[in-house]
Amino acid sequence: MKPFLLLFSLLASAIQLSAITAQEVANKAAEASYYKGDDGRAQVEMRITDRQGRERVRELTILRRDVEDLGDQKFYVFFHRPADVSETAFLVWKHPDGQDDRWLYLPALDLVRRIAASDERTSFVGSHFYYEDVSGRSPTEDHHELVETTDNYYVLQSTPKEPDSVEFASYKTWIHRTTFLPVKTEYLNAQGKVYRTYQALKVETIEGIPTVTESKMADQERGGSTTLRYPRVQYNLGLEDELFTERFLRNPPRELLGQ
Amino acid sequence: MNSLVNLAIRRPRLVTGVSALLTLSMLLLATLPSVFPERFPALHGVQVDTDPENMLSHDNPARVLHREEKAEFELYEQIVLGVVNDENPQGVFNAQTLDNVYRLTEFAKTLDGVVAPEIIAPSTVDNIEQAGLGAVSFSWLMPKPPETDAEALAVRDAMLRLPMMRGAIVDDAGKSLMLFIPITSKDQSYRISRALMDEIETFERSGGEKYHITGLPVANDTFGVQMFLQMAISAPIAMGLIFLLMLYFFKRLTLIVSPMLVALMSVVITMGALIATGNTVHIMSSMIPIFIMPIAVLDAVHILSEFYDRYPKLQDKRATIRAVMSELWWPMFFTTVTTVAGFASLMMTPIPPVRVFGGFIALGVMVAWVLTVTFVPAYLTFLPEKSLQNFGHRHEGDDDEATGVLRLIASLAGHRPRAILVCSLVLLGVAGYGISRIQINDNPVKWFEPSHRIRVADAVLNERFSGTYPAYLLLDAGQENAFKDPALLEALNGLQAHLEQNANVGKTTSITGVVQTVYREMMEGDEAYFRIPGSSRAVAQTLLTYESSHRPGDLFHFVTPTYDKAVVWLQLNSGDNREMSSVVAAANAYLQAHPLPGQVQHDWFGLTYINVIWQEKMVAGMLGSLLSSFAVVLVLMMVLFRSPLWGLLAMVPLTLTIALIYGVIGLVGKDYDMPVAVLSSLSLGLAVDYAIHFLARSRELQRQRGSWAATLPAMFTEPGRAIARNIIVIGIGFTPLILAPLVPYQTVGVLISAILLVAGLVTLLILPSILTLFEKRFFPENRA
Repeated sequence: MKPFLLLFSLLASAIQLSAITAQEVANKAAEASYYKGDDGRAQVEMRITDRQGRERVRELTILRRDVEDLGDQKFYVFFHRPADVSETAFLVWKHPDGQDDRWLYLPALDLVRRIAASDERTSFVGSHFYYEDVSGRSPTEDHHELVETTDNYYVLQSTPKEPDSVEFASYKTWIHRTTFLPVKTEYLNAQGKVYRTYQALKVETIEGIPTVTESKMADQERGGSTTLRYPRVQYNLGLEDELFTERFLRNPPRELLGQ
Repeated sequence: MNSLVNLAIRRPRLVTGVSALLTLSMLLLATLPSVFPERFPALHGVQVDTDPENMLSHDNPARVLHREEKAEFELYEQIVLGVVNDENPQGVFNAQTLDNVYRLTEFAKTLDGVVAPEIIAPSTVDNIEQAGLGAVSFSWLMPKPPETDAEALAVRDAMLRLPMMRGAIVDDAGKSLMLFIPITSKDQSYRISRALMDEIETFERSGGEKYHITGLPVANDTFGVQMFLQMAISAPIAMGLIFLLMLYFFKRLTLIVSPMLVALMSVVITMGALIATGNTVHIMSSMIPIFIMPIAVLDAVHILSEFYDRYPKLQDKRATIRAVMSELWWPMFFTTVTTVAGFASLMMTPIPPVRVFGGFIALGVMVAWVLTVTFVPAYLTFLPEKSLQNFGHRHEGDDDEATGVLRLIASLAGHRPRAILVCSLVLLGVAGYGISRIQINDNPVKWFEPSHRIRVADAVLNERFSGTYPAYLLLDAGQENAFKDPALLEALNGLQAHLEQNANVGKTTSITGVVQTVYREMMEGDEAYFRIPGSSRAVAQTLLTYESSHRPGDLFHFVTPTYDKAVVWLQLNSGDNREMSSVVAAANAYLQAHPLPGQVQHDWFGLTYINVIWQEKMVAGMLGSLLSSFAVVLVLMMVLFRSPLWGLLAMVPLTLTIALIYGVIGLVGKDYDMPVAVLSSLSLGLAVDYAIHFLARSRELQRQRGSWAATLPAMFTEPGRAIARNIIVIGIGFTPLILAPLVPYQTVGVLISAILLVAGLVTLLILPSILTLFEKRFFPENRA
């Protein structure tokens, strides 16, 4: 790198540092985590470990299409394993400013049901991740405060605007300063105790985009944790909007699901 | 007569000093590490153990299973908290009460020892319902307190729709609530329940709003706290009453101090040894003082009684002591050995706390004997001769309180021996019938009086809800995914329906309840779909849907994640072991007739079940130890009297006493429970004591007087009075226990008094009658 350019980028980041607000960090973090590219596909290996160390493994594919950046999104979640739930599929229309729409298809009952969870903080298919952890919590739902800036991280302290709708009192996030990927989040309960911790275990650059390829959610209260591994991630596949409709729940797009 | 007694008379200071020193050092050995545990880390302080589970040894298979399966299914012991309101037409489902319930739940979450994420309360559980056409909703049932009474009713209606909650958390009438607060350890439950009660006190309650706390752990832990109060109050009151009675009989305060000191020192040394050796103060071992006291006083009363009667004749204290001790030496030695044998036999039972109990009482009785033959004579020699002026029973045949009755007994035995024996045989027959009707049963909650708040809570909640007593039926199919198979789940439904027909089973809950509820809500809430879906895949997908709720982990309180094992939760409305046993029998019979598909093994766990296991061991163990100590005592009696015939005769009063006591227990319908079982050893020990004293003295007097006719009236002077005084002193001395707030102590109080009375009367009536009737057999020398 030429000395001039180096100087320029240092200067630029210095200006940015001085100017960036907590809300901007939160927005960028949401963008880096959930809105990379226009769409994406990820194979997921979910390993649920309980307090006793008993493991359950699930394999699924997640398709995503952004309607607009930091705005509406659509997800299609398809189960491969275990065998008795294979071809079970979820469809989520995420509305950051309102309640999400969720549909569930159960092939053994040939049944499509809308899941009207009153909040998104219910378990994602029995794992320690919540729906909201998978689809992303909107940065506008909390008040953010930049409590610390270290060499590598912005540390945000976030408190909910509607405390009644969530189980946490606050959470603290360590966000990487260059990638804006959250590498750790600690959720605190009303007693100020950390009861739930998210960690990004592995970050790889895929198609030029820094991507978390292994993450973990631990439950300190009950014990146990879930690890998500993403062995194959792709971006900008040109996924069509009609894939994300009820019709495709019953007729899965097999070529896209690696089947 | 023995060198020990001589030593005591010659060196009273030495004997007294050694006794005092020994007592003091045992006292310090036990109290110092209890008060200053950090300064005496090598010594054992007082350790309290109120867990009935410890009636079984740690490695008992039932306990091991209980422990392992609780861990595997992440089940906890629970505090049961009921909220009722009989005044409000909506019951507890009004805004004010639900607000309190919400706050109480939040408060409980903050308490140490509470497993916060597993609390079951309206604000911590999910409501599963269909939300419009083709939609299923998982939402917190009561995410925040309702603001209006109408909203409170909506919470009620939602709960009543969920089969898992109906009867368990909300009563069928929709008026009351029950919260389950899981705890990490049973010994925390008293503290936690106190904290909850204190918090409840701060609430502004709606009219008629009442709270009840119960559950086996609370009962056990509360019992432990009250047990100490009991030891601190009842035992000293009993001691005080014995003291007053002795004062009444023997007049001289200085004199009767000695038996009291013997009892006190025996108790201190025994309990000191118990604590210093690291044994726990358990429900059983807490009763040791109450058992040692009468036994310790008993021999000393014989000595004092004799001393009181003889001193006026001899007018010399040392000579009187020698005469008394020489006459009483062998009877006292043998009564001690037999009592020790009775209690030591408990060491053969398979129940660790009973072994400790028996062993240390045996030790205490030996200590009491040593003190009686050394300390009491030494103490008597200290008394100035002058202070004994006008002491005692000056004229034989003087009117003593007992004498009138004793004369009557003597004449009955002398003139109506046949009638007495016939009466005894009739009573024995009645007793036999009573024994055949004995109900073996126990329930740790019933260790409290009916008016105790735990008993009240127990009654109120078990009347309204499915039950506060948990038991778990473990099913092991030995094959992964077995519990997703509709055939097995249907069979499980059948088993549960059968179990619920039992009057004591309020409710059963298992994985089938989850599957059926979710399936119904998937099918737009149509009751017709409250069933198991038709394939394993359909079951698996229904369960996957449930896993999208707030508490997916609840599933694994019913099945293992591999679905090879499952648990059926039973809520019983009675903690009586008898009821639990009948449920186990019903389940076994059903499973025999309708085997579950596949190779499903079953077993039981849960506290209510554990209680049954230790009770079974207790009953069998007690019977074994009673029979073995009976045999040992019989042999001892044959040796003591150097005659099999006299040995058998000595067994008559105790046999009749035990038969009568247990016969009455059977007739009046009192449950054969823990204290009743333990008292068989005490009755054996005490009843044989009277027989030994009576027979030993009879033979001696007979030798002196040459004929039974001359002996009989004499037997009812000094010796008869000694026995009568014993009966009165100890029998009445234990009546204060009846006032105890804890039922086992009441039982012990009533039974000790009854045993002494019956054993005494039987001894005084039957033994002379038999001797009168069969004089020539027992006194062959009189044949001439």
